[in-house]
Amino acid sequence: MRNPVAALRSALRHPVSAYDQKSAMWLLTPMVVVLMIVAVFPVVYSFWISLYDLKLTRPHRVPFVWLGNYLKVFQDPLFWDSVARTFSFTVMSVAAIMLIALLMALLLNEEFRGRRVLSAILLIPWAIPYVANGLMWKWIYDSGYGALNGLLLQLGLIDKYIVMLGDVDKTLGLITNAFVWKEVPLATILLLVTLKSIRADLYSAAKVDGANVWQRFVHITLPALVPGFALVMIYETMMAIRHFDLFFILTEGGPAEASHVLAWQVYVETFRKLSFGTGAALAYIMAIVTFTLAFFIIRSTSRKL
Amino acid sequence: MSEIWTHESKRRDFLKMSAAAGAASTGLLALPTQAAGAPVNFHTWSAAVDTVKSHLTAFEAKSGIKVNYSNSPWAQYRDTMVTKFVGNAPLDVMWVSDSWLPEWADAGWLAPVDGYPELMKYNADVEDFATKSMMYKGKQYGLTYYSDYMGFFYDQDKLQKAGIKRPPQTWDEVVQQSLQIKKAGLCEYPLMLSMARESWLIEFLTAMVYSNGGRFVDDSGKAVMQDRQKGAHKALQWIVDAVNKHKIVSPACVEIGELNGLKSYTSGNHAFAMLGRYRVRTLNDPKQSSIAGHVKQGLMPAGPGGSHATVGWMRFYGMTAQAAADKARAANAVKLIEWFGGKAEGQYKFQKMVFTDVGAGFSVKELFKDPDVKSSYAKYSDIAMYEQQQQLARKKDVISRWFGEWDEVNGSAWQAAIIGKSSVADALKKSAEAWNDLRH
Repeated sequence: MRNPVAALRSALRHPVSAYDQKSAMWLLTPMVVVLMIVAVFPVVYSFWISLYDLKLTRPHRVPFVWLGNYLKVFQDPLFWDSVARTFSFTVMSVAAIMLIALLMALLLNEEFRGRRVLSAILLIPWAIPYVANGLMWKWIYDSGYGALNGLLLQLGLIDKYIVMLGDVDKTLGLITNAFVWKEVPLATILLLVTLKSIRADLYSAAKVDGANVWQRFVHITLPALVPGFALVMIYETMMAIRHFDLFFILTEGGPAEASHVLAWQVYVETFRKLSFGTGAALAYIMAIVTFTLAFFIIRSTSRKL
Repeated sequence: MSEIWTHESKRRDFLKMSAAAGAASTGLLALPTQAAGAPVNFHTWSAAVDTVKSHLTAFEAKSGIKVNYSNSPWAQYRDTMVTKFVGNAPLDVMWVSDSWLPEWADAGWLAPVDGYPELMKYNADVEDFATKSMMYKGKQYGLTYYSDYMGFFYDQDKLQKAGIKRPPQTWDEVVQQSLQIKKAGLCEYPLMLSMARESWLIEFLTAMVYSNGGRFVDDSGKAVMQDRQKGAHKALQWIVDAVNKHKIVSPACVEIGELNGLKSYTSGNHAFAMLGRYRVRTLNDPKQSSIAGHVKQGLMPAGPGGSHATVGWMRFYGMTAQAAADKARAANAVKLIEWFGGKAEGQYKFQKMVFTDVGAGFSVKELFKDPDVKSSYAKYSDIAMYEQQQQLARKKDVISRWFGEWDEVNGSAWQAAIIGKSSVADALKKSAEAWNDLRH
């Protein structure tokens, strides 16, 4: 390996290299400035806002409350209820996505007639915007004329239309289902890419050693899939914790507070109550939780990545 | 907690900066002030846009005053307006909902119009509840754009088939007749109630509370909703029983919004419905309703010790404080408000146009006698019933600066009781506690 000190000396001796570095820095400056304005400044400024009791409808009094907004949030029982709901939603969603995506990826990894068509169909939910997805599921779940009720009735599983989103025991599960449907394609692609990278000779060698299908799956496929699983888990966990669209379109946090998750609480505080201070504090808490989880997931799987 | 911003301008700068990101993207940070004689900036939500435009054209031709008209969807209207106010966007006249009046007036964004006799003279022609709905802390903040109330409707055809001779007069009769209709196999859930979490919910709840003789808060602003005698207890208990005991209202009502409820009713799924009065036009329109021609309006059923009272709401023309601060701007703004909310060329033209074009209600009493209005309404409903019920309409008693925040808690509490996750008493106690916390 080349000595870095020698490399630096060489760069200093050759003005062309030094000139190139300088040019590169100048060329990068506009993008750095843009990033500072559109990414760094809002992040820092929203933290600054979270230290004020800023309510847009009370423009004449904006006290600095230090970490008062954070304390207020932690003392609110609704916050802890929404944390519990967000946790349930995230665990159910990520587990279902990973399982279904694994099965889909294993299927699409095999050669069979119609595989390409099936792959294309699989991408449809991913291509549908979240709002359109939400509206579609709202129709499907409708308790009066929804397709799901119609299907269950025709299959003889129910004898009359049943309450769907209005039933607190079903609400979160139904929203999870809509979320999973949308997210599975991307997870499948990520796992499929990982599957494709497994060397075929490993399977051949295992076959020669007498390993059956299950043993090959457990001892070759699953360990090789760990990096893909880690990626899917991190991405989908972050998506699930921050997810808002389906809660907004399907239930608006209801019925009662059955689907009042963290992202919904951020929306209510910020845009309904126009309490920007508390809303910013909640958003920061959510971001910190997300980053912490991502950190632990990465750390626990890093040796296998 | 310390308050570091003691200087007014610093606090304002902070707020302006906070709103800047949103405002800049919509071009709201245009010139903060206007020269005298500049156009009047008029903003509404996206309703009756063509009718507004045609009336504006006539105004511009008549007065020589140019108007910059813009509109935004109802769902985002409050947020949009607050952002405009905070960003000091040029704005003179806008539509205001009675629900936002205390919030906007206390923030200093709206200006009272008491000092303009040319506007105040119209109060004599307007229903009392409508004028009261435009008042806050003893001052009036505008002139009526449209007003309406929560109505009770029944499908006469279904009632006849079930052998019912007259519509229900009380909530007890609603139960009896609904059970009769259910027994006749005419519909599973005879009464359509929309109890989803949306801005309509408080209108439905208040109508139920008023007709049961209750109140959410008393005249001093103190919560009485939890009081078994004076409060909302009877109303909520009735809904809970209707859903869970009598099964005359669908348990899915907590997921049914006003629009879905309307669709369900026009599909012929119910015999009774509580809907905004103006919906009767749709209900009896053969192109939009399978029960067209059969829907009648009845008086709001009364609860025990209650009356046929209902809730009314008001949307009005308000003037911004920034317009009021400039005499020339204020004069032009007042002319525009009078043209729309008062008389134009000696007539309540705009109210009449909005009524005949889209069926939106009015609170100008003399319009009930207008031959065009009467003949237009006779095509789909009974104007005498419209007027009779309107005289029993009352403004919402929960309109306050903290209404939006309380409404979140109250909506959840009522839903929790309806779906059996909370008792009626606990739900109303929770709602009352939230009210009292926010009030202090």
